[in-house]
Amino acid sequence: MKISTTGRIITATTLGTIVLIAAMVGWAQAEVSAADLQRLRAGEITRALSNLRLVTFESILHRPERARLQEQQAAAHLDQLLSNGPFAQADPSTSLVALRERAAAAHRLFTELVRPGVDGDVDIVAEQRYLAQLTTRLLLQHQEIANDAFQLADYTRARIDAAQRRLIFVILGGLSLLALTTALAAWLIHGKVLRPLRRIEEGTQEVAAGNLDFRLDFSSNDEIGRMARNFDAMTDALRGSFAQIERSNHELGALNKEMEAFSYSVSHDLRAPLRSMDGFSLSLLEDYSDKLDDEGRDSLVRIRNASQRMGRLIDELLGLARVTRTELKVRQVDLSAMVREIAESLQQRQPERSVQWQIDDGIEVRADRALLHIALQNLLENAWKFTARTEAPVIRVGTVAHDGQPACFVGDNGVGFDMSYADRLFGAFQRMHHESEFPGTGIGLAIVQRIFHRHEAAVWAHSAPGQGATFYFKFRDTHDERPRQGHPAG
Amino acid sequence: MNDPDKVILLVEDNPDDEALTLRALRRSHLLNPIEVARDGVEALDFLFARGTRAARAGEPLPTLVILDLKLPKLDGLGVLKAIRSEPRTRFLPVVILTSSQEERDLISGYELGANSYVRKPVDFNEFLDAAKVLGIYWLMINQLPPERPAQ
Repeated sequence: MKISTTGRIITATTLGTIVLIAAMVGWAQAEVSAADLQRLRAGEITRALSNLRLVTFESILHRPERARLQEQQAAAHLDQLLSNGPFAQADPSTSLVALRERAAAAHRLFTELVRPGVDGDVDIVAEQRYLAQLTTRLLLQHQEIANDAFQLADYTRARIDAAQRRLIFVILGGLSLLALTTALAAWLIHGKVLRPLRRIEEGTQEVAAGNLDFRLDFSSNDEIGRMARNFDAMTDALRGSFAQIERSNHELGALNKEMEAFSYSVSHDLRAPLRSMDGFSLSLLEDYSDKLDDEGRDSLVRIRNASQRMGRLIDELLGLARVTRTELKVRQVDLSAMVREIAESLQQRQPERSVQWQIDDGIEVRADRALLHIALQNLLENAWKFTARTEAPVIRVGTVAHDGQPACFVGDNGVGFDMSYADRLFGAFQRMHHESEFPGTGIGLAIVQRIFHRHEAAVWAHSAPGQGATFYFKFRDTHDERPRQGHPAG
Repeated sequence: MNDPDKVILLVEDNPDDEALTLRALRRSHLLNPIEVARDGVEALDFLFARGTRAARAGEPLPTLVILDLKLPKLDGLGVLKAIRSEPRTRFLPVVILTSSQEERDLISGYELGANSYVRKPVDFNEFLDAAKVLGIYWLMINQLPPERPAQ
């Protein structure tokens, strides 16, 4: 049964009991009032009766005409009292019927008694004896009537008592019923609501703690039972999802392993033939130079260059793959210091070049140190490379406000590129310049993009041909300690 | 300047790499005899004078082992492990010379007690430089442990 149905039944029972008690109080009130009326009437009857007796005796003793008339009035009054009012419908009291008959009989006797006698032809003695007999019967009749009147009064008192007893009984019974329904409601609330709720609470705690095998398994069909089944269905679904995720993770892991094996194989096996090509070409150049003409020697140099270029390509592709595989270890990194360090190494590599570095101090980001180094190395190498033909090369590193948050930038005043090709900028093997102009494999910016994406950092570029290029990247919380400055170079 | 008794063991399965390594070592003016093992098992047979190399019993250990990692039968790391677990070869200088620059190879190599880890460059000129430095360092500068190390 549903809890709401049970609740409705309990409420209905309680209200019904209260209505019953109210009705019983009303009934008892009516009963008492009715009985009270009867009691009053019984008193009147008694009074009328004693009046009747008084006038009857007066009439017998003194035979005045006035007393006879008074008796008639009193008898009529008594008869009226007996046939109207609270006793009108011949109540269960048989005494009333008897009372009426006896009153009638008494009146007949009285009428007989006071009938004027026929003078002369009646024996005086016999007449006297007859009258004495009548008087005695009348007295007896009156005595009976008085008894009946007392019985009537007793009956009304008994009726009041009965009504009161019944009222007390009904109130006690109703209160017991109310107590019972209250107890039942408490028991039902405890058994059907509170205990299951406690278990559901336990269940939510278990599931929150990660125990997805927990089941409530309620069999009841009420609201809480349905809720528990929904809860079970929910944990089942969760378990399913987790299993799915685990499977996916497993597959991903397998894929990752496969990719690692692939990279490993590439690293080992693809480079070996290149070494042979380069090595044996050099052997030919060294040992058989005299037997080769210029074209032959040029071909061998080309073979060597191609081999070495492919070696670099393989290395960078492996680097790209490694960037994806490496686990991120995010911590606070002093970007300014890192840039300065890379700048120094670039300068050392080509000391003949004079580049003006403008590196802002105090730029701190939260990033993986090793990966950020690779990204910055690529960006700065690009800036270094593409300013090679600029007259007064400037490379700037700093921060700039972007959408209300600081974004880092690496800008140069080098050759730049056409923004209409910008969508290809970060793709692997995409180049903006001929390799003869500026050497490179075209993987560097793909690596940069992948590193920033792994940090959930945005990266974008802005440039125009001949006006330098600026690469922006925005970490979630770039910390810039220095005061706001002007715009980036480029 | 080179002691002909100081044998170098080159463990290399790729004939091209073998030829190039030999060429690089020769070009570095190393006159030491160079023995070549073409897989891991042959390398251990040579070192422990057993199997096809049983005739080597009583001969001194090589001065230097140049070990490739990717080898048939038993790979380079397995060879290194076997060398380090044998008391007689425990301190034998082993230089890993490989194509791989995978971090895990580097870590496993050093973990298993490699003395050095050199990556084979594609550019043969760089390879020549590396071979030269290797030869000079391990055969001339480096002081080898005594043949029978004190227990």
